[in-house]
Amino acid sequence: MPDTNQVTASNGEPIIICRDVNKWFGEFHVLRDISVDVAQQEVVVVIGPSGSGKSTFIRCINRLEEHQAGQIIVDGIELGNDVRNIAAIRREIGMVFQQFNLFPHKTVLENITLAPTKVRGWPREKAEAKAKELLERVGIPEQAAKYPGQLSGGQQQRVAIARALAMEPKIMLFDEPTSALDPEMIKEVLDVMKELARSGMTMLVVTHEMGFAREVADRILFFDQGRIVEQGTPTYFFESAQHPRTKLFLSQIL
Amino acid sequence: MTTLNDSRNLPQAEPVVNFDEPPVKPPPLLAVGPLAWVQKNLFSTPLDALLTIVGVTLVIGAITGFLGWAIGQANWLAINFNLRLFFLGRFEPEAEWRVTLLVLLVAFTIGLSFAAWARLTRGVMLVLVLLVALTFGLPPLFRAALPVPATYVAAGEVGIASGADTITPQPQLAFIARAGETVTVRLADSFSGDDASLSGLSGFADDAANQLRNAAARRLETSARIDEITRLLAGDLLTSNQRAQLEEDLAELSVPDAITDTYALNDASVQVRILRGTTGEEIGAATLEGSTASLSVTLPEDGWYILDKGVDGGAGNALLRADGVFPLLERTVTRAADEAGTGRSGSIAQYARLTDSFTTEEVRPTADGRNLPMATIIDTQLRGTRSFSEYLSLFVAPFLGQVNTAVLALVVAMFAGYFGGQALDRMRSPANAPRRASGRLVAWLWIVLPVLMFVFVYGLGSILPLTDTRRWGGLMLTIMLAAVGIIASFPLGVLLALGRRSSLPIVSLFSTLYIEFVRGVPLITVLFMAQLLVPLVNPTLAELPNVFRAMIGIILFSAAYLAENVRGGLQSIPPGQEEAARALGLNGLQVTLQITLPQALRAVLPALVGQFISLFKDTSLVAIVGLLDFSAMGELIVTQTEFLGLRREVYIFLIVFYFAFTYSIASVSRRIEASGAGKALARKI
Ligand SMILES: Nc1ncnc2c1ncn2[C@@H]1O[C@H](COP(=O)(O)OP(=O)(O)OP(=O)(O)O)[C@@H](O)[C@H]1O
Ligand SMILES: [Mg+2]
Repeated sequence: MPDTNQVTASNGEPIIICRDVNKWFGEFHVLRDISVDVAQQEVVVVIGPSGSGKSTFIRCINRLEEHQAGQIIVDGIELGNDVRNIAAIRREIGMVFQQFNLFPHKTVLENITLAPTKVRGWPREKAEAKAKELLERVGIPEQAAKYPGQLSGGQQQRVAIARALAMEPKIMLFDEPTSALDPEMIKEVLDVMKELARSGMTMLVVTHEMGFAREVADRILFFDQGRIVEQGTPTYFFESAQHPRTKLFLSQIL
Repeated sequence: MTTLNDSRNLPQAEPVVNFDEPPVKPPPLLAVGPLAWVQKNLFSTPLDALLTIVGVTLVIGAITGFLGWAIGQANWLAINFNLRLFFLGRFEPEAEWRVTLLVLLVAFTIGLSFAAWARLTRGVMLVLVLLVALTFGLPPLFRAALPVPATYVAAGEVGIASGADTITPQPQLAFIARAGETVTVRLADSFSGDDASLSGLSGFADDAANQLRNAAARRLETSARIDEITRLLAGDLLTSNQRAQLEEDLAELSVPDAITDTYALNDASVQVRILRGTTGEEIGAATLEGSTASLSVTLPEDGWYILDKGVDGGAGNALLRADGVFPLLERTVTRAADEAGTGRSGSIAQYARLTDSFTTEEVRPTADGRNLPMATIIDTQLRGTRSFSEYLSLFVAPFLGQVNTAVLALVVAMFAGYFGGQALDRMRSPANAPRRASGRLVAWLWIVLPVLMFVFVYGLGSILPLTDTRRWGGLMLTIMLAAVGIIASFPLGVLLALGRRSSLPIVSLFSTLYIEFVRGVPLITVLFMAQLLVPLVNPTLAELPNVFRAMIGIILFSAAYLAENVRGGLQSIPPGQEEAARALGLNGLQVTLQITLPQALRAVLPALVGQFISLFKDTSLVAIVGLLDFSAMGELIVTQTEFLGLRREVYIFLIVFYFAFTYSIASVSRRIEASGAGKALARKI
């Protein structure tokens, strides 16, 4: 039976280290003693009931949310109040949101080239070449000149993935990337994510897609009420989970 | 399987398949079409029907009343002769070309905007072309098809009395005419015996002729009153008090003799002559007797002429009808510098003809050292009720003649912008962004235009001489104030909006206080404060012209409202936008400049247009600090002697113009928003 409090990476040096991370919204204790390490190239899927703190957890990793106690170390840099650390870490982490959050006033190409040119200081040609390559990779090379409003949901989410990848991040965070999509578009996004996982990207994915978790995840974390209740390989998780809350959750969604 | 049906004992639903194709039928007659619309919208209930009838009656009454006045009575010369004041104020004529150029550039840019951001439909283009065609086509058409109003003048040496006034006809009347025009004078026979037709006399009678008309009208009025009292006294509905009062009234009334009896109207023969104004040389003479005789003279050159008339033997009066003698407007124009051609400078008396604005600066003829009388609008004020054809040939045709070149130039400039933009796109824009070239150009133009506006109107050091800001006025000033107000308050307003949302408490407190304070006081107080307080900030600012101080006030005022609009826009942007930008590593400034602010500004564009429009109207308050904006110019015009008391006409013009202007701004911005780039952006992600 795996140890739920301390986990070591399955291969190589951990790129994300969380030690006893705690967070409160006012009086409300959202994250309680979260300790978890993520190894390079590992794909970690986070599941759990609504309101259990999954989003809050992964948003703490690129400091869209601040944790109030404990340590988060990403790629050797500890997250604190130092603005330079935050900037350095955000450059290494890409994030994909449930609501896509593309910039509606910029074309697809501009959405993708914005950060490389402004943050990494790349020349425009380099950024555009990279953007075209990424659009090819996510399967929509012909949409570069369009505005996000002119694309379907699945296409928008693939642009969002390309946008995050354009910064050449070491880690990708996904917060329910398919939850806002119509069923027929979910597959096209999951396919892109699978391809990404196979290419060796370190990924932290909050999702309700159990098929994806079973097929791609190296490890599944189960969150409940701000705690990691249980974790393990997909096989362990779907076949021999021990905790009654995990069992209850799985019985409800499967 | 158990179902709910079991407990409710319902029959099993039978499957039904329908293979028929029912024919497509037209709707019943009363369901569509105009009749159905009327029935449904106007007469659906008895109350609706009543409201419709009352409403329609009221509206028709108001419209016919207004049109009756506007066509038959109003004196629109206050507008026709003051267009320059209305539009440019007293702006230096030497610098006028700068404003003209600027306005054409704006029209060009509007055309280009349509090419870049929207489309002009064939219908709109057709309307514009038609508008130009009408302004050019109608005046000659009216001149050819409609009789030019006749002028009625009196002759004789007997004073014509009406009430306490007695007026003796003048022996001579001066008028201006152009070479080749014909003047025809004959006895106005149709009026000779008949009070009713005499009192219905309209148009440009001289003072004595007017007196004839008044006397006839008075006689008719008195006899009508006498008839009325007699009728009342014959009945038995009156109290004894009322009866006594009416009898007393009746005793005081007496019907004057018919005009023909009093003045022996058109009985004697009349000597008429046409003289040249400069030399007094006679170019035509005749004795008029009976209805057929007339004097018809073709005039040799542009300039002054004199109509000389007298009754043989001095007995009786005559009423003459002169075709081709039109009343004049005398006005004083001030020329700052010597102008080529006239060789004169300073104040010059100009005489302009009402029918076609033909203007001369030749000196008015004199006799015995005194100016000869002329038929001016002050003498006659166009008394009487005009006919529609007179309205068209007196006001509409000259007005169109005055504005047609301007309208043509504007439309041509706009089309040049539109088609030029399309041509540019065909040559320069890439296939995947077919409007990029025109879009870039138009964005630049809109950024440069405000600066150009200021430079052109005010001047620039030694390149363009500075103009006198005290002479700015009219529509030009109003637009300047509103445009400067919106544009210059823009950066300030954006900073205040960002400041109010700032996480630094001092910044946000200051911004909030400023915004709330300024929004809590009326514009008029801000304008006064700008006048009075600006010099206190720095004594050298006391030299600052009035206009600029007013601008400062308007900018400070407008910034507070703009800040609230922008803040609303910022609030409308989903927080995910900022999160996504931050997650990509952009810093706070980059997030604001690249992501939140551009979207906020796009979201508030309609509100900004609305704010421009309300500022455009509110600037009329600058009259309080002594500036002559568009509406203050109207007030100024009705204090001129020629146009005294024409406030109704002037205000109607102001209202129509304000409305036309603001409405077209609003609808152009709506069109551009609703199409092209605006549409793609408006769609939610
Ligand atoms: N900014 C906030 N302020 C206060 N409470 C918050 C805030 N954000 C989240 N919460 C609360 O914290 C808890 C955890 O939220 P979180 O979004 O992490 O849940 P989740 O596991 O992602 O749920 P879901 O599956 O619905 O997305 C919820 O109860 C939520 O109401
Ligand atoms: Mg969530």
